[in-house]
This record gives sequence, structure tokens and C-alpha cells, in this order.
Amino acid sequence: MDFALLTLPFMQRAFIGGGIVSVLLACLGVFVVLRRSSFFGDAIAHSSLTGVAIGLLTGIPTLISATIYSIGVSFFIPWMKDKSRLPVDTLLGILLPVSMAIGVIILTLIPGYRADLMSFLFGSILGISWLNIGFTILLSLAIGIYLFFWGKKLLALSFDSDYAVIQGIQVSKIDLLYHLALAVSIVLGIQVVGIILVNALLIIPSATARLLARSMKDLFILAPIIAFVTTTCGIILSYYLDLPTGPAIGVLSGMVFVSAFIVSHIRSKS
Amino acid sequence: MNPLLTLTNVSITYPHSSFRAVEKVSFSLMPKTITALIGPNGSGKSTLIKGILGLIPHTGSVRFSSQNKGQRSIPVGYVPQRFSFDTTFPITLSEFLHLICEDTQSVKASLAEVQLLDKEHSLLSTLSGGQLQRVLLARAIVNNPQLLILDEPEAGIDVASEMSFYGLLDHLVKEHDMTILIATHDLDIVSTLATNALCINKTLVCSGPPQKILTESMFKHLYGHELQFYGHHHT
Repeated sequence: MDFALLTLPFMQRAFIGGGIVSVLLACLGVFVVLRRSSFFGDAIAHSSLTGVAIGLLTGIPTLISATIYSIGVSFFIPWMKDKSRLPVDTLLGILLPVSMAIGVIILTLIPGYRADLMSFLFGSILGISWLNIGFTILLSLAIGIYLFFWGKKLLALSFDSDYAVIQGIQVSKIDLLYHLALAVSIVLGIQVVGIILVNALLIIPSATARLLARSMKDLFILAPIIAFVTTTCGIILSYYLDLPTGPAIGVLSGMVFVSAFIVSHIRSKS
Repeated sequence: MNPLLTLTNVSITYPHSSFRAVEKVSFSLMPKTITALIGPNGSGKSTLIKGILGLIPHTGSVRFSSQNKGQRSIPVGYVPQRFSFDTTFPITLSEFLHLICEDTQSVKASLAEVQLLDKEHSLLSTLSGGQLQRVLLARAIVNNPQLLILDEPEAGIDVASEMSFYGLLDHLVKEHDMTILIATHDLDIVSTLATNALCINKTLVCSGPPQKILTESMFKHLYGHELQFYGHHHT
């Protein structure tokens, strides 16, 4: 294998953007899996299509419009849960198709719009711009700072929110910031693998790490490493085998998960 | 000596419902005592505990009085009826307690109290039901609370684990000056361990020392059934 691909600017941007976003989503994925709210990530991702469509309609950069829309959705879901008697998965099941349908209708209403819907659905990491990379670094830093200072409390409340309340942890503030961080990270992840596959970056690395980890410390080390390696290898594979990048990362993540499952199964038998 | 906890006319209606689960309950807990909260299923014991802990809204007054001068509120420990968290998550006992306590010495001390110090680096998922119940007790005492509230902690553990668990509670009151409020169905434990008992069936039906209030007429009134009550002395 030669390393000529590293000299290509679009590949450099793909490695930087993909690497940062995969690590970020893997760290947040640990909390998502712990809270058993994997469907939440899917709902945010799918509904962000409306944000993308609004951006295309109004001329606002799609990354910004999708981020703002997804933040709104991430706040709307817990609010609806409090105000209605419906379980959260039912609310997500309503929001996901409705929001995606609105997005598709807006896209069809844009005069002369011919952009490839597939790039939103399955990502276009090779087309990521330096501006988007800068945006990604800035938001990732902010989320990293949040996790560094409030990660332990977030973990305590993700484990047992009632006990966190009793211990005087500011549950609503930390939860609000968590949903904000999750919405932003998912939109950043959509650039890499698209709306359909972003949950692969959010859920699979932490689920894989859970099969192998022997402590919480292991989990928080393994999940981002698995995410970074599968994303980087997925980008390289897609370059050499001429495959779409998002699906290549998705398939590789699935293969790593199956391998980890086999290893953990053998380990538990021995 | 002032009460550690005073409830005055506490009523609780569940959100999104007109059902009033607890009606005008008033009582006080004196420091360094064990008070048992008894009543049939659905009588409002768990709801009242959640109201005291601030987990669900209530009307009336719940007042904590610190025994330490200048301290406005008191640290409270809580052992829930069942594990409300994911016990398959890869986390060691030590890491679990460190989530709510920075001090490593306190973590080790609380694990030693519940006789699980040798398992501090074991995963939660490898523990038995009785051991997990003791982990919940370790979590409840790790920050050295003045008040410890337990909601039917005997659920899901065997008799031997239960006796050892109640022995620990007695030790916490005698050696660590804790005050305990425990919701339970185990009337044997009420008569041997508790200083006071509160009988609740939506409202407070009776209260006092277990020896005085654990009578056939009280059971009939509380549970609405003809129950045969056999009192006996423990040696």
C-alpha cells in the first residue's frame, strides 16, 4: 500500500473530519447505550433532513440549519415526554417519519434543486470542506470540555437519575447540555456517514467496547479507539476499493462488532 | 432533641392523574432511630418515600433539620426497591461509588461496611442479588448520610442475605448515628429491629412502638382481612 492518498487534500480533510467526529460520537454513544436510548440518535438524524432542506431553501449553510433544527428536536422530545402520557420511543416513532417526510417535501419544492439526496442519506465525507472541518473542530472542542467537566455527573444521572437528584446533581441542566451535545454531534456525524448510517458511529463502537471492557475506564478508552480505527480504515478501504465511504465505515463497524462478540463469547466460556 | 425529619400534612397526587396516592400524612423521625413504614401493596409507601426525597411533587411540608449547627440541609442516602439502572454496564464497584463520591477512603470504608471490599475491582454484573443489594446500601452510606431511607430492600434477596442486611442497618444506627426510615413487608423485622412503626394506607393509620401497634385489630384495619397474628420473642 502506498501513502499517496495522504497527500490528497480531500483525503486529508476526510481523515481529520472523520477521525474527530467518530471519537466524539463514540464517547457520547457510551451514554446513549447506557440510557438505552439508541432510537433517540436515529430520530435526531432522520429529522435533521428537514433542517438540511430548510438550509437549501433559505440559503443558510446546511450544516448550520441542520444543527439548529436538530437542537430544537432534541429539546422538543423531552418536553413532549413531560407534557404527554406517551412513552419516549412512541414519540420518536412519530417524530422520525413526520420530520423526514417534511424534509423530502421541502426538497421537492425547491425550484431547480438537483442535488443528490443520497449524499445526505449516506454521507459525503470526501466532499467535506475546510470550513466544515473548522466548524467540526470548534463544536467538538466545546463538547469535549462539557464531557471533561460534567462527564462524571452525566454518567451518574445516566445510571440512575433518581439517585442523581437525591445527591443534589443539577440533573435538568446537565441533561439539557447532553441533548444539545448529542444533537450537534449527530449533525457532524451526518457529514461522515449520512443520516441513515450515523447511528453506526454513535452506537456500534460503544456496544463493541462494552463486549470487551472489564471496567468503565476500559470502555471509555476502547470505544473511541474502535471508532477512530474503523472510520479511518473505512475511508482507506473506500478509496482503494472504490466504495461509498459511509457504507464502507458501516460495514467495517459491523464486522468489528461481530468479531468482538465472538471474542467475548469465547472469553466467557473459558 | 429535635426531630431529624418532620412531615406535616403531606399529600401526593401523581402527575397526569387525579389519583391521590398519599393523603395528609404527618409524622416526625427522631435521630438515631429505625422507623418502619408498613402497609399493604398500593398503600402509598413508595410514593411517600419518593415525595420525601423530592422525586415527585407534594403538598404540605417536608422539613429536614440538621443536627449539625449551621447546616441547612442533611445528606440523605436511599436504597430503592429494585435496581433502576443497567447492571450489565461494565463498571467496577469502586468506579460505581466514585460516581457520587470523590473520596477514595470513603468508598473503601463503605465497601468494607457492607463486606464487599474484596470485590472493589469486580464488575457489578458479576454480583449476586444479595451482593447487589449491599452495593446499593454502600452507595447510600458512602457520603455518610444522617438519614437513610430504604424502600422494601428485602425484595429479591434470600433469607440469609436478608438477616445479614438487617444486621448492617442496626450497626449503622448504633455505630454511625444514622437515622433510618424503612418501608417493609417483613413484620418480623419490624418487631425486632424498629424503634417505631408507621402504618400507612393512603393516610397514616397508626404509629408508635411496634410492640404496641402490631395487633390483630390493627392488621384488620390496615389490610382489611382477617389475619391471625402470632407474636413471639426473639432470643
